[in-house]
Amino acid sequence: MKNSYYEFFCPVKVIAGKAALEHIPYELTGLAAKRPMIITDKGVRAAGLLEPVISACEESGLDIIAIYDDVPPDSSVGVVKDIAGIYRSEKCDSIIAVGGGSAIDTAKAVNILVSEGGDDISVYVGAGVLKRPLKPFFVVPTTAGTGSEVTAVAVISDPAKSVKLPFTSSFLLPNAAIIDPRMTLTLPPHITAATAMDALTHATEAFTCMAKNPLSDAFATAAIKKVSTSLLTVMDNPKDAEARLELAQASTMAGIAFSNSMVGLVHALGHATGALCHLPHGLCMSLYLPYVLEYNLESIRGPLGELLLYLDGPEAYATTPADRRAEASISAIRSLRDALYKHCKLPRTLKETGKVTETQLDRIASIALDDGSIMFNPREVTLADAKAVLKRAWA
Amino acid sequence: MINRLITPMALQARGLYVELMFQVMGRALQAVSEVDRDVRSEVSALPEGFLFEMMVMPDGSRFIVEHIGNGHLHYHGDNASRPVDLSIQFKHVAHAFLVLSFQEKTSVAFANDRMLVDGDISYAVRMTRVLNRLEAFILPRLIAKRAVKEYPANLNLPKKVLSAARIYLKVANHFVATVRA
Ligand SMILES: [Fe+2]
Repeated sequence: MKNSYYEFFCPVKVIAGKAALEHIPYELTGLAAKRPMIITDKGVRAAGLLEPVISACEESGLDIIAIYDDVPPDSSVGVVKDIAGIYRSEKCDSIIAVGGGSAIDTAKAVNILVSEGGDDISVYVGAGVLKRPLKPFFVVPTTAGTGSEVTAVAVISDPAKSVKLPFTSSFLLPNAAIIDPRMTLTLPPHITAATAMDALTHATEAFTCMAKNPLSDAFATAAIKKVSTSLLTVMDNPKDAEARLELAQASTMAGIAFSNSMVGLVHALGHATGALCHLPHGLCMSLYLPYVLEYNLESIRGPLGELLLYLDGPEAYATTPADRRAEASISAIRSLRDALYKHCKLPRTLKETGKVTETQLDRIASIALDDGSIMFNPREVTLADAKAVLKRAWA
Repeated sequence: MINRLITPMALQARGLYVELMFQVMGRALQAVSEVDRDVRSEVSALPEGFLFEMMVMPDGSRFIVEHIGNGHLHYHGDNASRPVDLSIQFKHVAHAFLVLSFQEKTSVAFANDRMLVDGDISYAVRMTRVLNRLEAFILPRLIAKRAVKEYPANLNLPKKVLSAARIYLKVANHFVATVRA
């Protein structure tokens, strides 16, 4: 590719593996932080995932000063303001987010308020508003999918104006992401499957969309290999800590890949479907991935064919003629979806979800055309194209 | 010594080219919104009075167009009375030159971090599609293929030749009108 140019950035320290949580006190001390606040949600607390984090800190003589455990699935400006209030009144000096996408996004937004001041997060909306580093911030993901621990974005809703406020700045990135297999060990099967498909989609879109680059490619292919070799192992044996760690790492690696090279039409359609029909994001990814790859096929034949090596292993790659590999990659993703359907009834079509009606498809298509992700899709998507993909994904 | 003299001239030429192409694009956007239904339907989703700007950072040349209703765009030259609603900003005049001399597609330039969006991303997505369609319209097919992500399927030759002629005519008229004014 002549005239090629790219940027790649990921300053997040990754602390991964057995007993990773026990590194938190040392890392906090290294940033002169002594009074951490935990931001999490009720589900995480109920699953008993806070105890190992708290005891890891207490054993090192570091007290958790405050815990906010009521982050809703769709966090709002009000929640952010409340948490910032608690942080200030308890004189905290650092934040540990424990949870999935919503808890992490909320913590990012809280960090803006407690570092920059004020009660109104909406004044910091947009890109490039922040000009300096924020308070020490750590993320402990409890799902393996979103990759939010390595993305420089937070989305918070403003219910009064019924809009979603995006915040973009590299200062939103945490100082460290702590990937501990204990955190995802109890994730229920259908969430494990859907979030892993989100990670697989991040990596696949990063590798096949327009902003791909050699560094993000390396992260993407490694992430795909981890998902394709470990997801079904985890589905068969949810307590397999090693395979769980593989999925958690895949999620972070896919996050690094897509935060540097963006995603495409799968995400555009997925965001629209999530907004309109309230389906979980990971499920939407799983629903659309093969159909979008089919739609993009002729523009991405080369890179998609290369992915067969990571999706289906060296034997399948070697025995498939080069000009059939792209199709074989799509088939590999389809068989993975079939296996997940057998395991936990993860829907494969919009109809199978039972939550989407055929009359909503046109609306989904037109919302998707306004989604930022569509910009980096290798094919220019028209309204008719989007409708056609949705029709294929219907049943 | 001679080298030193020549380089600034080449750079100046590049700056002038970008400035000129911005003027052409601004006028062509107005013209294409008058002749093409697809562009109008894209644009009509923008609020009336919406101001769109393309510029070179930090304070280089720019053009501004306004959505004046029903999908019609109006070219405002390089300034407007209000702050713009959406700004697409090239990080450097060299990057603007790559795009405006059709060496790099608009969408690739976005993907390559050559430019930034200041404003609502969904509007930027729309305007990128309008720019792609504009480029496909006013350029010969061979160059247009290089400039846009995908050559529109519904742009068959007679329509394209006709429309392109009308757009060129409109752009030319507009230039003449401006010179007269
Ligand atoms: Fe995603």
